[in-house]
Amino acid sequence: MNVKPNPSVNELVDHLFRHNAGQMVSVLTRIFGFENIDVIEDAIQEAMIKALNHWPFKGIPKNPTAWLIQVAKNRVLDQFRRNKRVDPGGGETLEKLDRLSGKLIEDKFRYPREMKEDLLCMMFATCDPALKPDSQIALTLKTVGGFSVSEIAAAFLSKNEATAKMLTRAKKTLKEKKMSLEIPPPDELEPRLNAVMKVLYLMFNEGYSASSGAEVVRTDICFEAIRLAQILSDHPVTRSPKVEALLALFFFQGARLGARNSQTRDVLLLADQQRELWDKKMINVGLYHFRRSAVGVEVTDYHLEAEIASCHILANDFDSTDWDRMLQCYDLLLNRRFSPVVAINRIIVISKVKGAEAALNELKNVEKTGLLESYLPYHIACAQLEFETGALEKAAESYRRAIQLATNRPTLRFLERKLEALLQNQEQ
Amino acid sequence: MNTYMLLLHDSINLGEQQNGNEVSAEDMQAIIGDYVGWRSKVEANGRLVGGEKLGDEGGRHIRMTDGEIRVTDGPFAEVKEALGGYFAIKAADYDEAVEISKGCPHLKYGGWIELREVDETH
Repeated sequence: MNVKPNPSVNELVDHLFRHNAGQMVSVLTRIFGFENIDVIEDAIQEAMIKALNHWPFKGIPKNPTAWLIQVAKNRVLDQFRRNKRVDPGGGETLEKLDRLSGKLIEDKFRYPREMKEDLLCMMFATCDPALKPDSQIALTLKTVGGFSVSEIAAAFLSKNEATAKMLTRAKKTLKEKKMSLEIPPPDELEPRLNAVMKVLYLMFNEGYSASSGAEVVRTDICFEAIRLAQILSDHPVTRSPKVEALLALFFFQGARLGARNSQTRDVLLLADQQRELWDKKMINVGLYHFRRSAVGVEVTDYHLEAEIASCHILANDFDSTDWDRMLQCYDLLLNRRFSPVVAINRIIVISKVKGAEAALNELKNVEKTGLLESYLPYHIACAQLEFETGALEKAAESYRRAIQLATNRPTLRFLERKLEALLQNQEQ
Repeated sequence: MNTYMLLLHDSINLGEQQNGNEVSAEDMQAIIGDYVGWRSKVEANGRLVGGEKLGDEGGRHIRMTDGEIRVTDGPFAEVKEALGGYFAIKAADYDEAVEISKGCPHLKYGGWIELREVDETH
Protein backbone atom coordinates (compact mmCIF):
# COMPACT_ATOMS: atom_id res chain seq x y z
CA MET A 1 0.00 0.00 0.00
CA ASN A 2 1.34 3.40 -0.93
CA VAL A 3 -0.34 6.14 0.98
CA LYS A 4 1.61 9.36 1.07
CA PRO A 5 1.47 10.99 4.47
CA ASN A 6 0.04 14.47 4.51
CA PRO A 7 2.93 16.66 5.62
CA SER A 8 0.68 19.20 7.30
CA VAL A 9 -0.48 16.46 9.63
CA ASN A 10 3.00 15.44 10.64
CA GLU A 11 4.36 18.80 11.57
CA LEU A 12 3.38 20.26 14.87
CA VAL A 13 4.78 23.74 15.10
CA ASP A 14 6.46 24.58 18.41
CA HIS A 15 4.20 26.57 20.72
CA LEU A 16 1.39 26.37 18.17
CA PHE A 17 -1.35 26.84 20.75
CA ARG A 18 0.43 29.39 22.87
CA HIS A 19 1.41 31.62 19.97
CA ASN A 20 -1.98 31.28 18.36
CA ALA A 21 -3.66 32.23 21.62
CA GLY A 22 -1.69 35.48 21.70
CA GLN A 23 -2.29 36.12 18.04
CA MET A 24 -6.02 35.51 18.32
CA VAL A 25 -6.51 37.72 21.37
CA SER A 26 -4.75 40.51 19.51
CA VAL A 27 -6.71 40.13 16.27
CA LEU A 28 -10.11 39.75 17.91
CA THR A 29 -9.57 42.45 20.53
CA ARG A 30 -8.57 44.89 17.83
CA ILE A 31 -11.81 44.06 16.01
CA PHE A 32 -14.22 43.84 18.94
CA GLY A 33 -12.59 46.28 21.38
CA PHE A 34 -10.63 45.90 24.60
CA GLU A 35 -13.82 46.12 26.67
CA ASN A 36 -14.73 42.65 25.35
CA ILE A 37 -11.41 41.02 26.11
CA ASP A 38 -12.86 38.63 28.72
CA VAL A 39 -15.45 37.29 26.29
CA ILE A 40 -12.69 36.98 23.70
CA GLU A 41 -10.31 35.11 26.00
CA ASP A 42 -13.06 32.64 26.95
CA ALA A 43 -13.92 32.12 23.30
CA ILE A 44 -10.30 31.39 22.46
CA GLN A 45 -9.97 28.86 25.26
CA GLU A 46 -13.12 27.16 23.95
CA ALA A 47 -11.79 27.18 20.39
CA MET A 48 -8.57 25.53 21.51
CA ILE A 49 -10.48 22.87 23.46
CA LYS A 50 -12.54 22.21 20.36
CA ALA A 51 -9.34 21.80 18.35
CA LEU A 52 -8.00 19.43 20.95
CA ASN A 53 -11.05 17.19 20.61
CA HIS A 54 -11.32 17.32 16.81
CA TRP A 55 -7.80 17.40 15.44
CA PRO A 56 -6.82 13.94 16.74
CA PHE A 57 -9.30 12.40 14.29
CA LYS A 58 -8.78 14.52 11.22
CA GLY A 59 -5.24 15.69 11.76
CA ILE A 60 -4.18 19.29 12.06
CA PRO A 61 -5.85 21.52 9.47
CA LYS A 62 -3.73 23.09 6.75
CA ASN A 63 -4.10 26.51 8.32
CA PRO A 64 -4.57 25.96 12.06
CA THR A 65 -4.63 29.67 12.82
CA ALA A 66 -7.49 30.25 10.40
CA TRP A 67 -9.39 27.29 11.83
CA LEU A 68 -8.95 28.46 15.42
CA ILE A 69 -9.75 32.09 14.78
CA GLN A 70 -12.90 31.23 12.83
CA VAL A 71 -14.18 29.12 15.71
CA ALA A 72 -13.21 31.76 18.27
CA LYS A 73 -14.85 34.55 16.30
CA ASN A 74 -18.10 32.59 16.07
CA ARG A 75 -17.99 31.92 19.81
CA VAL A 76 -17.59 35.63 20.50
CA LEU A 77 -20.59 36.46 18.32
CA ASP A 78 -22.63 33.68 19.98
CA GLN A 79 -21.81 35.25 23.32
CA PHE A 80 -22.88 38.68 22.06
CA ARG A 81 -26.17 37.17 20.92
CA ARG A 82 -26.74 35.46 24.26
CA ASN A 83 -25.78 38.48 26.27
CA LYS A 84 -27.64 41.37 24.68
CA ARG A 85 -26.24 43.84 27.17
CA VAL A 86 -22.92 43.85 25.37
CA ASP A 87 -23.00 46.46 22.67
CA PRO A 88 -20.21 45.54 20.32
CA GLY A 89 -18.82 48.32 18.23
CA GLY A 90 -21.31 51.16 18.55
CA GLY A 91 -24.71 49.71 17.72
CA GLU A 92 -23.85 47.60 14.69
CA THR A 93 -26.27 44.78 14.17
CA LEU A 94 -24.75 41.42 14.95
CA GLU A 95 -25.27 40.19 11.39
CA LYS A 96 -23.34 43.17 10.09
CA LEU A 97 -20.66 42.68 12.71
CA ASP A 98 -20.40 39.01 11.72
CA ARG A 99 -19.84 39.91 8.05
CA LEU A 100 -17.49 42.76 8.89
CA SER A 101 -15.31 40.78 11.26
CA GLY A 102 -15.22 37.87 8.82
CA LYS A 103 -13.98 40.18 6.12
CA LEU A 104 -11.38 41.75 8.40
CA ILE A 105 -10.03 38.35 9.39
CA GLU A 106 -9.92 37.23 5.76
CA ASP A 107 -7.86 40.31 4.91
CA LYS A 108 -5.43 39.57 7.69
CA PHE A 109 -4.62 36.21 6.16
CA ARG A 110 -4.01 37.93 2.85
CA TYR A 111 -1.61 40.43 4.44
CA PRO A 112 0.33 38.63 7.17
CA ARG A 113 1.94 41.89 8.26
CA GLU A 114 -1.47 42.97 9.55
CA MET A 115 -1.36 40.04 11.95
CA LYS A 116 1.98 41.14 13.34
CA GLU A 117 0.68 44.67 13.66
CA ASP A 118 -2.19 43.42 15.81
CA LEU A 119 0.34 41.87 18.19
CA LEU A 120 2.29 45.12 18.21
CA CYS A 121 -0.82 47.16 19.06
CA MET A 122 -1.67 44.74 21.86
CA MET A 123 1.86 45.12 23.21
CA PHE A 124 1.49 48.88 23.35
CA ALA A 125 -1.74 48.34 25.30
CA THR A 126 -0.40 45.81 27.81
CA CYS A 127 2.71 47.95 28.40
CA ASP A 128 0.57 51.03 29.02
CA PRO A 129 2.26 53.38 31.51
CA ALA A 130 -0.93 53.34 33.62
CA LEU A 131 0.08 49.82 34.79
CA LYS A 132 2.79 48.86 37.26
CA PRO A 133 5.81 46.98 35.86
CA ASP A 134 4.77 43.61 37.35
CA SER A 135 1.31 43.93 35.84
CA GLN A 136 2.74 45.01 32.50
CA ILE A 137 4.97 41.93 32.33
CA ALA A 138 2.26 39.53 33.49
CA LEU A 139 -0.40 40.96 31.19
CA THR A 140 1.94 40.96 28.21
CA LEU A 141 2.85 37.32 28.85
CA LYS A 142 -0.80 36.37 29.22
CA THR A 143 -2.35 38.38 26.43
CA VAL A 144 0.34 38.68 23.78
CA GLY A 145 2.32 35.58 24.70
CA GLY A 146 -0.51 33.14 25.43
CA PHE A 147 0.99 32.02 28.76
CA SER A 148 -1.43 30.57 31.30
CA VAL A 149 -2.08 32.04 34.72
CA SER A 150 -0.35 29.13 36.44
CA GLU A 151 2.71 29.41 34.19
CA ILE A 152 3.04 33.10 34.99
CA ALA A 153 2.51 32.41 38.68
CA ALA A 154 5.20 29.71 38.60
CA ALA A 155 7.70 32.05 36.97
CA PHE A 156 7.05 34.83 39.50
CA LEU A 157 6.87 32.48 42.50
CA SER A 158 3.38 33.74 43.10
CA LYS A 159 0.06 32.03 43.83
CA ASN A 160 -2.37 31.39 40.97
CA GLU A 161 -5.08 33.42 42.67
CA ALA A 162 -2.82 36.40 43.26
CA THR A 163 -1.67 36.34 39.65
CA ALA A 164 -5.24 36.04 38.37
CA LYS A 165 -6.27 39.00 40.52
CA MET A 166 -3.37 41.09 39.27
CA LEU A 167 -4.35 40.34 35.67
CA THR A 168 -8.00 41.17 36.31
CA ARG A 169 -7.07 44.50 37.90
CA ALA A 170 -4.73 45.35 35.03
CA LYS A 171 -7.40 44.56 32.45
CA LYS A 172 -9.93 46.64 34.39
CA THR A 173 -7.58 49.62 34.32
CA LEU A 174 -7.20 49.31 30.57
CA LYS A 175 -10.94 48.82 30.00
CA GLU A 176 -11.68 51.97 31.97
CA LYS A 177 -9.31 53.92 29.75
CA LYS A 178 -11.55 53.00 26.81
CA MET A 179 -8.47 52.70 24.71
CA SER A 180 -8.45 51.67 21.10
CA LEU A 181 -5.72 49.30 20.01
CA GLU A 182 -3.51 51.43 17.84
CA ILE A 183 0.13 52.21 17.35
CA PRO A 184 0.67 55.46 19.30
CA PRO A 185 0.72 58.65 17.19
CA PRO A 186 4.18 60.02 16.27
CA ASP A 187 4.33 62.57 19.11
CA GLU A 188 3.72 59.84 21.71
CA LEU A 189 5.65 57.05 20.04
CA GLU A 190 9.08 57.43 21.66
CA PRO A 191 8.08 57.24 25.32
CA ARG A 192 5.58 54.47 24.58
CA LEU A 193 8.16 52.47 22.63
CA ASN A 194 10.62 52.94 25.48
CA ALA A 195 7.99 51.61 27.88
CA VAL A 196 7.46 48.50 25.75
CA MET A 197 11.21 47.93 25.50
CA LYS A 198 11.57 48.29 29.26
CA VAL A 199 8.89 45.65 29.82
CA LEU A 200 10.61 43.25 27.40
CA TYR A 201 13.94 43.92 29.12
CA LEU A 202 12.45 43.14 32.54
CA MET A 203 10.62 40.13 31.12
CA PHE A 204 13.86 38.73 29.76
CA ASN A 205 15.67 39.29 33.05
CA GLU A 206 12.83 37.67 34.94
CA GLY A 207 13.29 34.59 32.79
CA TYR A 208 17.06 34.79 32.78
CA SER A 209 17.88 35.27 36.43
CA ALA A 210 18.04 31.80 37.92
CA SER A 211 16.68 33.06 41.22
CA SER A 212 13.46 31.11 41.27
CA GLY A 213 10.73 29.26 39.48
CA ALA A 214 10.34 26.42 37.07
CA GLU A 215 13.25 26.24 34.66
CA VAL A 216 11.30 25.42 31.49
CA VAL A 217 8.86 28.27 31.83
CA ARG A 218 11.68 30.67 32.58
CA THR A 219 13.53 29.78 29.40
CA ASP A 220 10.28 30.14 27.47
CA ILE A 221 9.89 33.63 28.93
CA CYS A 222 13.33 34.63 27.63
CA PHE A 223 12.42 33.42 24.16
CA GLU A 224 9.08 35.20 24.36
CA ALA A 225 10.86 38.50 25.10
CA ILE A 226 13.04 37.83 22.05
CA ARG A 227 10.03 37.04 19.87
CA LEU A 228 8.26 40.24 20.89
CA ALA A 229 11.38 42.35 20.41
CA GLN A 230 11.64 40.91 16.91
CA ILE A 231 8.14 42.19 16.20
CA LEU A 232 9.36 45.69 17.16
CA SER A 233 12.35 45.23 14.89
CA ASP A 234 10.18 44.03 11.97
CA HIS A 235 7.69 46.89 11.95
CA PRO A 236 8.70 50.06 10.07
CA VAL A 237 7.28 52.36 12.75
CA THR A 238 9.12 50.80 15.70
CA ARG A 239 12.27 49.59 13.93
CA SER A 240 15.22 51.50 15.40
CA PRO A 241 18.86 51.13 16.48
CA LYS A 242 17.87 50.85 20.15
CA VAL A 243 15.53 47.95 19.38
CA GLU A 244 18.44 46.29 17.57
CA ALA A 245 20.62 46.88 20.64
CA LEU A 246 17.99 45.26 22.85
CA LEU A 247 17.81 42.26 20.53
CA ALA A 248 21.60 41.98 20.43
CA LEU A 249 21.66 41.97 24.23
CA PHE A 250 18.93 39.29 24.36
CA PHE A 251 20.72 37.03 21.88
CA PHE A 252 24.11 37.40 23.58
CA GLN A 253 22.57 36.57 26.96
CA GLY A 254 20.34 33.88 25.49
CA ALA A 255 23.37 32.17 23.92
CA ARG A 256 24.63 31.46 27.43
CA LEU A 257 21.34 30.02 28.75
CA GLY A 258 22.34 26.40 28.15
CA ALA A 259 25.73 26.79 29.80
CA ARG A 260 24.39 28.55 32.86
CA ASN A 261 23.37 25.53 34.85
CA SER A 262 25.83 22.76 35.37
CA GLN A 263 24.54 19.23 35.68
CA THR A 264 24.10 19.66 39.39
CA ARG A 265 22.03 22.75 38.54
CA ASP A 266 24.33 24.88 40.63
CA VAL A 267 25.06 28.45 39.82
CA LEU A 268 28.05 28.61 37.54
CA LEU A 269 30.24 31.64 37.47
CA LEU A 270 30.99 33.05 34.07
CA ALA A 271 34.64 32.15 34.57
CA ASP A 272 33.78 28.46 34.98
CA GLN A 273 31.28 28.22 32.15
CA GLN A 274 32.18 25.97 29.26
CA ARG A 275 32.26 28.35 26.34
CA GLU A 276 31.73 25.57 23.82
CA LEU A 277 28.23 25.21 25.27
CA TRP A 278 27.35 28.73 24.20
CA ASP A 279 24.90 28.75 21.32
CA LYS A 280 26.88 29.80 18.22
CA LYS A 281 23.79 30.45 16.15
CA MET A 282 22.37 32.85 18.73
CA ILE A 283 25.73 34.60 18.99
CA ASN A 284 25.71 35.17 15.24
CA VAL A 285 22.17 36.53 15.25
CA GLY A 286 23.19 38.73 18.18
CA LEU A 287 26.15 40.07 16.22
CA TYR A 288 23.86 40.81 13.28
CA HIS A 289 21.59 42.92 15.49
CA PHE A 290 24.60 44.45 17.23
CA ARG A 291 25.92 45.76 13.90
CA ARG A 292 22.51 47.16 13.03
CA SER A 293 22.34 48.91 16.42
CA ALA A 294 25.47 50.95 15.68
CA VAL A 295 23.61 53.52 13.58
CA GLY A 296 22.55 57.04 14.48
CA VAL A 297 23.60 59.17 17.43
CA GLU A 298 21.51 57.85 20.30
CA VAL A 299 23.35 55.64 22.79
CA THR A 300 20.94 53.82 25.10
CA ASP A 301 21.51 51.62 28.14
CA TYR A 302 20.74 48.71 25.84
CA HIS A 303 23.65 49.69 23.57
CA LEU A 304 26.04 49.71 26.54
CA GLU A 305 24.73 46.48 27.98
CA ALA A 306 24.89 44.79 24.58
CA GLU A 307 28.46 45.95 24.19
CA ILE A 308 29.38 44.55 27.60
CA ALA A 309 27.73 41.25 26.72
CA SER A 310 29.63 41.24 23.41
CA CYS A 311 32.94 41.49 25.33
CA HIS A 312 32.11 38.23 27.08
CA ILE A 313 30.78 36.58 23.96
CA LEU A 314 33.74 37.50 21.77
CA ALA A 315 36.45 36.51 24.25
CA ASN A 316 38.03 33.10 23.66
CA ASP A 317 38.28 32.52 27.38
CA PHE A 318 37.57 34.39 30.59
CA ASP A 319 41.08 35.83 30.97
CA SER A 320 41.32 37.25 27.47
CA THR A 321 38.12 39.28 27.92
CA ASP A 322 38.51 42.93 26.89
CA TRP A 323 38.17 44.28 30.44
CA ASP A 324 39.25 47.85 29.58
CA ARG A 325 36.47 48.27 27.08
CA MET A 326 34.01 46.75 29.51
CA LEU A 327 35.04 49.15 32.24
CA GLN A 328 34.39 52.10 29.92
CA CYS A 329 30.88 50.79 29.27
CA TYR A 330 30.21 50.27 32.98
CA ASP A 331 31.42 53.79 33.80
CA LEU A 332 29.05 55.20 31.19
CA LEU A 333 26.17 53.09 32.47
CA LEU A 334 26.73 54.04 36.09
CA ASN A 335 26.91 57.72 35.19
CA ARG A 336 23.44 57.48 33.73
CA ARG A 337 21.78 55.94 36.76
CA PHE A 338 22.80 54.07 39.89
CA SER A 339 21.99 50.40 39.85
CA PRO A 340 23.37 47.90 42.35
CA VAL A 341 23.72 45.28 39.62
CA VAL A 342 25.79 47.59 37.46
CA ALA A 343 27.83 48.80 40.44
CA ILE A 344 28.83 45.30 41.49
CA ASN A 345 29.56 44.12 37.97
CA ARG A 346 31.74 47.19 37.48
CA ILE A 347 33.72 46.31 40.61
CA ILE A 348 34.44 42.85 39.23
CA VAL A 349 35.75 44.42 36.03
CA ILE A 350 37.90 46.82 38.07
CA SER A 351 39.45 43.84 39.84
CA LYS A 352 40.47 42.51 36.43
CA VAL A 353 41.89 45.84 35.25
CA LYS A 354 43.42 47.28 38.44
CA GLY A 355 43.62 44.30 40.79
CA ALA A 356 41.62 43.02 43.75
CA GLU A 357 42.94 45.60 46.21
CA ALA A 358 41.77 48.56 44.12
CA ALA A 359 38.45 46.87 43.48
CA LEU A 360 37.90 46.22 47.18
CA ASN A 361 38.57 49.87 48.01
CA GLU A 362 36.16 50.95 45.31
CA LEU A 363 33.58 48.50 46.61
CA LYS A 364 33.79 49.91 50.14
CA ASN A 365 33.26 53.37 48.65
CA VAL A 366 30.10 52.25 46.93
CA GLU A 367 28.93 50.53 50.10
CA LYS A 368 29.00 53.87 51.91
CA THR A 369 25.78 54.69 50.10
CA GLY A 370 24.23 52.00 52.33
CA LEU A 371 22.30 50.62 49.39
CA LEU A 372 24.11 47.30 49.20
CA GLU A 373 23.97 45.89 52.73
CA SER A 374 21.10 43.53 51.96
CA TYR A 375 22.18 42.89 48.39
CA LEU A 376 23.44 39.33 47.98
CA PRO A 377 25.85 39.88 45.05
CA TYR A 378 27.61 42.61 47.07
CA HIS A 379 28.61 40.11 49.73
CA ILE A 380 29.65 37.51 47.18
CA ALA A 381 31.84 40.10 45.44
CA CYS A 382 33.31 41.12 48.82
CA ALA A 383 34.11 37.52 49.67
CA GLN A 384 35.76 36.88 46.33
CA LEU A 385 37.90 40.04 46.49
CA GLU A 386 38.84 39.51 50.15
CA PHE A 387 39.88 35.99 49.26
CA GLU A 388 42.04 37.30 46.42
CA THR A 389 43.75 39.82 48.69
CA GLY A 390 44.43 37.10 51.26
CA ALA A 391 41.98 38.37 53.91
CA LEU A 392 40.58 34.90 54.49
CA GLU A 393 38.84 35.61 57.82
CA LYS A 394 36.95 38.49 56.28
CA ALA A 395 36.14 36.43 53.18
CA ALA A 396 34.62 33.70 55.34
CA GLU A 397 32.57 36.33 57.18
CA SER A 398 31.29 37.70 53.86
CA TYR A 399 30.31 34.23 52.66
CA ARG A 400 28.40 33.66 55.92
CA ARG A 401 26.53 36.91 55.40
CA ALA A 402 25.80 35.92 51.79
CA ILE A 403 24.48 32.52 52.91
CA GLN A 404 22.04 34.30 55.21
CA LEU A 405 20.72 36.29 52.27
CA ALA A 406 20.54 33.47 49.73
CA THR A 407 16.96 32.59 48.80
CA ASN A 408 17.33 29.66 46.45
CA ARG A 409 18.90 26.28 46.76
CA PRO A 410 21.47 26.35 43.94
CA THR A 411 22.91 29.65 45.15
CA LEU A 412 22.96 28.40 48.71
CA ARG A 413 24.78 25.21 47.69
CA PHE A 414 27.26 27.20 45.65
CA LEU A 415 28.05 29.52 48.57
CA GLU A 416 28.34 26.72 51.11
CA ARG A 417 30.80 24.94 48.86
CA LYS A 418 32.84 28.12 48.51
CA LEU A 419 32.90 28.63 52.27
CA GLU A 420 33.88 25.04 52.91
CA ALA A 421 36.74 25.23 50.42
CA LEU A 422 37.88 28.46 52.03
CA LEU A 423 37.91 27.02 55.53
CA GLN A 424 39.84 23.95 54.40
CA ASN A 425 42.28 26.25 52.66
CA GLN A 426 42.75 28.17 55.90
CA GLU A 427 43.53 25.07 57.93
CA GLN A 428 46.33 23.97 55.65
CA MET B 1 -4.66 -6.90 4.97
CA ASN B 2 -7.83 -6.49 6.99
CA THR B 3 -9.62 -3.38 8.16
CA TYR B 4 -10.10 -2.80 11.87
CA MET B 5 -12.20 -0.31 13.75
CA LEU B 6 -10.89 1.30 16.92
CA LEU B 7 -14.01 2.35 18.81
CA LEU B 8 -13.01 4.89 21.43
CA HIS B 9 -15.00 4.55 24.63
CA ASP B 10 -15.11 6.66 27.78
CA SER B 11 -13.67 9.77 26.14
CA ILE B 12 -12.92 12.57 28.48
CA ASN B 13 -13.36 16.04 27.11
CA LEU B 14 -9.72 16.90 26.53
CA GLY B 15 -8.75 20.31 27.81
CA GLU B 16 -11.48 20.62 30.44
CA GLN B 17 -10.46 22.41 33.60
CA GLN B 18 -8.66 20.36 36.19
CA ASN B 19 -8.76 21.41 39.85
CA GLY B 20 -10.12 24.75 38.73
CA ASN B 21 -7.01 25.54 36.72
CA GLU B 22 -7.37 26.39 33.09
CA VAL B 23 -5.46 23.94 30.92
CA SER B 24 -2.52 25.85 29.49
CA ALA B 25 -1.77 26.20 25.80
CA GLU B 26 1.41 24.20 26.32
CA ASP B 27 -0.52 21.32 27.94
CA MET B 28 -2.85 21.32 24.97
CA GLN B 29 0.15 21.28 22.69
CA ALA B 30 1.48 18.20 24.49
CA ILE B 31 -1.84 16.35 24.18
CA ILE B 32 -2.28 17.15 20.51
CA GLY B 33 1.37 16.25 19.98
CA ASP B 34 0.69 12.76 21.31
CA TYR B 35 -2.20 12.24 18.93
CA VAL B 36 -0.44 13.74 15.93
CA GLY B 37 2.60 11.60 16.62
CA TRP B 38 0.59 8.39 16.75
CA ARG B 39 -1.66 9.31 13.86
CA SER B 40 1.15 10.28 11.52
CA LYS B 41 3.12 7.13 12.36
CA VAL B 42 0.14 4.98 11.51
CA GLU B 43 -0.43 7.05 8.40
CA ALA B 44 3.21 6.92 7.31
CA ASN B 45 3.10 3.12 7.55
CA GLY B 46 0.15 3.17 5.22
CA ARG B 47 -2.15 1.78 7.89
CA LEU B 48 -4.53 4.68 8.48
CA VAL B 49 -7.88 4.52 6.73
CA GLY B 50 -9.63 7.36 8.53
CA GLY B 51 -11.24 8.59 11.69
CA GLU B 52 -14.12 10.71 12.90
CA LYS B 53 -15.09 12.32 16.14
CA LEU B 54 -18.67 11.73 17.20
CA GLY B 55 -20.82 14.44 18.78
CA ASP B 56 -20.50 14.93 22.51
CA GLU B 57 -24.18 14.49 23.32
CA GLY B 58 -25.51 11.01 23.77
CA GLY B 59 -27.28 10.75 20.41
CA ARG B 60 -30.52 8.81 19.80
CA HIS B 61 -31.49 5.22 20.27
CA ILE B 62 -34.02 3.96 17.78
CA ARG B 63 -35.85 0.70 18.47
CA MET B 64 -38.84 -1.21 17.28
CA THR B 65 -41.03 -2.08 20.23
CA ASP B 66 -44.36 -3.90 19.69
CA GLY B 67 -44.33 -2.93 16.03
CA GLU B 68 -43.78 0.71 16.84
CA ILE B 69 -40.58 2.67 16.28
CA ARG B 70 -39.45 4.40 19.45
CA VAL B 71 -36.77 7.02 19.60
CA THR B 72 -35.06 7.82 22.88
CA ASP B 73 -32.51 10.48 23.64
CA GLY B 74 -28.97 9.94 24.78
CA PRO B 75 -28.86 6.53 26.40
CA PHE B 76 -26.23 7.11 29.00
CA ALA B 77 -26.28 8.58 32.43
CA GLU B 78 -22.93 10.18 31.74
CA VAL B 79 -21.81 11.59 28.43
CA LYS B 80 -18.32 10.24 28.90
CA GLU B 81 -19.64 6.70 28.58
CA ALA B 82 -20.66 7.43 25.02
CA LEU B 83 -18.61 6.35 22.06
CA GLY B 84 -16.36 9.35 21.44
CA GLY B 85 -15.12 8.54 17.97
CA TYR B 86 -13.36 5.97 15.88
CA PHE B 87 -10.30 5.29 13.82
CA ALA B 88 -10.18 2.78 10.98
CA ILE B 89 -6.85 1.11 10.27
CA LYS B 90 -5.38 -1.61 8.10
CA ALA B 91 -3.53 -4.50 9.72
CA ALA B 92 -2.47 -8.04 8.82
CA ASP B 93 -4.28 -9.60 11.75
CA TYR B 94 -5.62 -8.92 15.23
CA ASP B 95 -2.16 -9.12 16.77
CA GLU B 96 -0.86 -6.32 14.61
CA ALA B 97 -4.03 -4.28 15.06
CA VAL B 98 -3.66 -4.61 18.84
CA GLU B 99 -0.05 -3.45 18.65
CA ILE B 100 -1.08 -0.36 16.68
CA SER B 101 -3.96 0.33 19.09
CA LYS B 102 -1.68 0.13 22.11
CA GLY B 103 0.04 3.31 20.95
CA CYS B 104 -3.20 5.27 20.67
CA PRO B 105 -3.13 8.20 23.15
CA HIS B 106 -6.82 7.63 23.88
CA LEU B 107 -5.64 5.06 26.44
CA LYS B 108 -3.30 7.55 28.08
CA TYR B 109 -6.08 10.09 28.44
CA GLY B 110 -8.45 7.84 30.33
CA GLY B 111 -10.43 5.99 27.67
CA TRP B 112 -10.53 2.38 26.50
CA ILE B 113 -10.61 0.98 23.00
CA GLU B 114 -12.93 -1.62 21.55
CA LEU B 115 -11.13 -3.20 18.59
CA ARG B 116 -13.26 -4.90 15.93
CA GLU B 117 -12.38 -6.41 12.60
CA VAL B 118 -14.47 -5.37 9.61
CA ASP B 119 -15.83 -8.57 8.12
CA GLU B 120 -14.86 -8.37 4.48
CA THR B 121 -15.61 -11.98 3.53
CA HIS B 122 -17.99 -12.34 0.62
